[in-house]
Amino acid sequence: MLEIGVQTKNAVEDQNPAEGFRMLKRAGFSCVDFSLNYYLTNKTLYRMEQNHFFDKTRGELEDYFTPHKREAQAAGIRIHQMHMPYPIYMPNGKKELNDYLWNVMAPKSMELCSFFECSYIVIHGFKLAKNLGSEEAEWSETERFIHSIAPMAKEMGITICIENLYSSVGKHIVEGPCCNVGKAVERIDRINDRYGAEVLGFCFDTGHANLARLDFEDFMTRLGHRLKVFHIHDNDGVGDLHQIPFTFTKTRENQPSTDWEGFVRGLRAMGFDKVLSFETAPVLSAFPQDMKEDVLSLIAKIGKHFAGEAGL
Amino acid sequence: MNIVCSPSGIVSPFRPGQGIMDIAGAGFEGISLELAMCCSGHELEHFGEESQKEKEKEEQQNALDRGIKKFPPISEHPQGMSRFFEKMLGSCREKNLHVFVMTAPSLPRDTKREDMVPVLKSLHEEAIRYCKSLGCSYLVIRPLTYVRGSEKLWQLNREYYLGLADLAKDHGVMILLENQFVLRNGQAVRGACSDETAAARWVDELNREAGEERFGFCMNVGVLSLCGQSMYEFAVTMGQRIKAVILGDCDGYHEGYMLPFTSVCSGQPRTDWLSLIRGLRRIGFDGQMILNMSDTAAVFSPLLRPQLMALAKAVAEYFKWQVQIEELLKKYDSIVLFGAGNMCRNYMKCYGETYPPLFTCDNNERIWGTTFCGLEVKPPEALKGLPETCGIFICNIYYREIEKQLRDMGINHIEFFNDEYMPTFYFDRLKGV
Repeated sequence: MLEIGVQTKNAVEDQNPAEGFRMLKRAGFSCVDFSLNYYLTNKTLYRMEQNHFFDKTRGELEDYFTPHKREAQAAGIRIHQMHMPYPIYMPNGKKELNDYLWNVMAPKSMELCSFFECSYIVIHGFKLAKNLGSEEAEWSETERFIHSIAPMAKEMGITICIENLYSSVGKHIVEGPCCNVGKAVERIDRINDRYGAEVLGFCFDTGHANLARLDFEDFMTRLGHRLKVFHIHDNDGVGDLHQIPFTFTKTRENQPSTDWEGFVRGLRAMGFDKVLSFETAPVLSAFPQDMKEDVLSLIAKIGKHFAGEAGL
Repeated sequence: MNIVCSPSGIVSPFRPGQGIMDIAGAGFEGISLELAMCCSGHELEHFGEESQKEKEKEEQQNALDRGIKKFPPISEHPQGMSRFFEKMLGSCREKNLHVFVMTAPSLPRDTKREDMVPVLKSLHEEAIRYCKSLGCSYLVIRPLTYVRGSEKLWQLNREYYLGLADLAKDHGVMILLENQFVLRNGQAVRGACSDETAAARWVDELNREAGEERFGFCMNVGVLSLCGQSMYEFAVTMGQRIKAVILGDCDGYHEGYMLPFTSVCSGQPRTDWLSLIRGLRRIGFDGQMILNMSDTAAVFSPLLRPQLMALAKAVAEYFKWQVQIEELLKKYDSIVLFGAGNMCRNYMKCYGETYPPLFTCDNNERIWGTTFCGLEVKPPEALKGLPETCGIFICNIYYREIEKQLRDMGINHIEFFNDEYMPTFYFDRLKGV
């Protein structure tokens, strides 16, 4: 059966990582998506601010995360994927900030990924289509960034994963970078050919896909082996809510409005053999704290349900 | 580019005089004939059901009792569609309104019917014949959407469209496919021809098999917005295959046809007009621009309809102007700008190289004699004596005020420039200019 994973955010605390990892294990998870983005948040960056977490030397960062690595192993949890802080580029940001993100934060994130013996790191593509005029021009900048860390990825055996994102027009959510599966396939193959290694893969985010009205089954099937990791979560088709799958309905028949049947068919069609990882951290802050483990158990059971339905 | 008005929500086919008068009165020269007015998705979804037959009998009797002419269901009697629209098209002829495009009946977005191909085929064949009889060249036939999987969808539609190709050829009608979404448990999901690369391939393959350009595309803006798609990418990939565009606004979550610029949130549009205009401009779109604002029209009082239609026409003309903005620049032998601020800067970024202005001018005397974005800044007086072949483009949002100033100076070769929908943008705006 496929392994099931979840974000560390809101589950594993720096002060006592052992407790968090043990709770995740008890809930039924064997993997985590390490929320490195928690240490330099997008909210901070959108304010054009920068904390100094990544100013630490490689050794200092490894020291900082040694308890996390040790306690995950002790609990029987594998760090399967991690999320690089984002955005990597602030269009109106100062040069110093963007240089820091690109030249300090990003390579240090790669080093930490390697330190955790984690195979996949998810990045966000640049959102520049409005200013640059086209998705192609926008992708060129993202690709330039990928090339800046791809040699490290090859050397460390890491696959950088691009994720389907959204953008917004008058608070109406629309597709963002990496929502065109045909282009994603071409780009991943081309870049991997160039490096002679799987330096680039795809992270399929079900919540973002639901917002951009993507056909899950079609998208996943066409990605095939390039789909390396998931961000599984649900929403109402309006906001990026990161809720538990099967939460939302829109008709009197009360069937789920998110196409989870298509998701399962997609898993089956592509013969997915990695980890079903949930990106549902907001759920853990919404439910009462004394229900956290119950909620995590439910999420893990949903993961097992998906795996069972897909026959994987 | 033809600006065409959809009569949905504006014209009653049974008493068409006033609605047609409103459309013609606003200056529209053509309509798109929506055959759903005579055969709705609901009628097709319930085709052949006993309850539907009972309801139909009841309606026939009611109509008879009231002395009203009731048409038998068009889904059962497709040849009745021409009689259904007789009165409405008579009114169109009186007002010199032409039918530039026709849209065929289709199943609802959440259809459960998989057995309707014969019924649809007979309706669509009749629509082709009707199209020809009205001298209309384009018939929009939506792809069938009831199967899952891109290959299955293609095979189903390939067979269906090619089955209509010979008749369309004999009647000189081009069949336009349209981007779709489907409703799954109330949630919109991208459907057939929503992937622009696949849609382009469908059109090309159908034309290859038909042996001529018998198929084209109708880009539905509302559906693209509902699916959160980039209209620029869609238009650029589809290119010259796009023969018609259905222009309408929606809230991004429900299918709807509103007047463009009316669906807004926090002072921002909910539809990505920037992306649409960029895309259509890039491909030099010159086909049928169908304005469909049936929902907006339906909620406006008939008393306000003439004013609404005038605004609608102005909005459609504005789109045409934006899409064809380069045509305006090409019209003149030389160009001079009025304004030395952000709009001038944006002009120079996007068009300065291809259409270099002689200079710019500004009312701010402190900057006379300086240069801005490589242009000498002169006083307005410098515009006097320029030949008529030199276009003076106002690059300042106070258009009418400046236009009056220039006209008072005896200058007439004045044009407006607008930088809201530029091909690219700077990341910053200059302050204090």
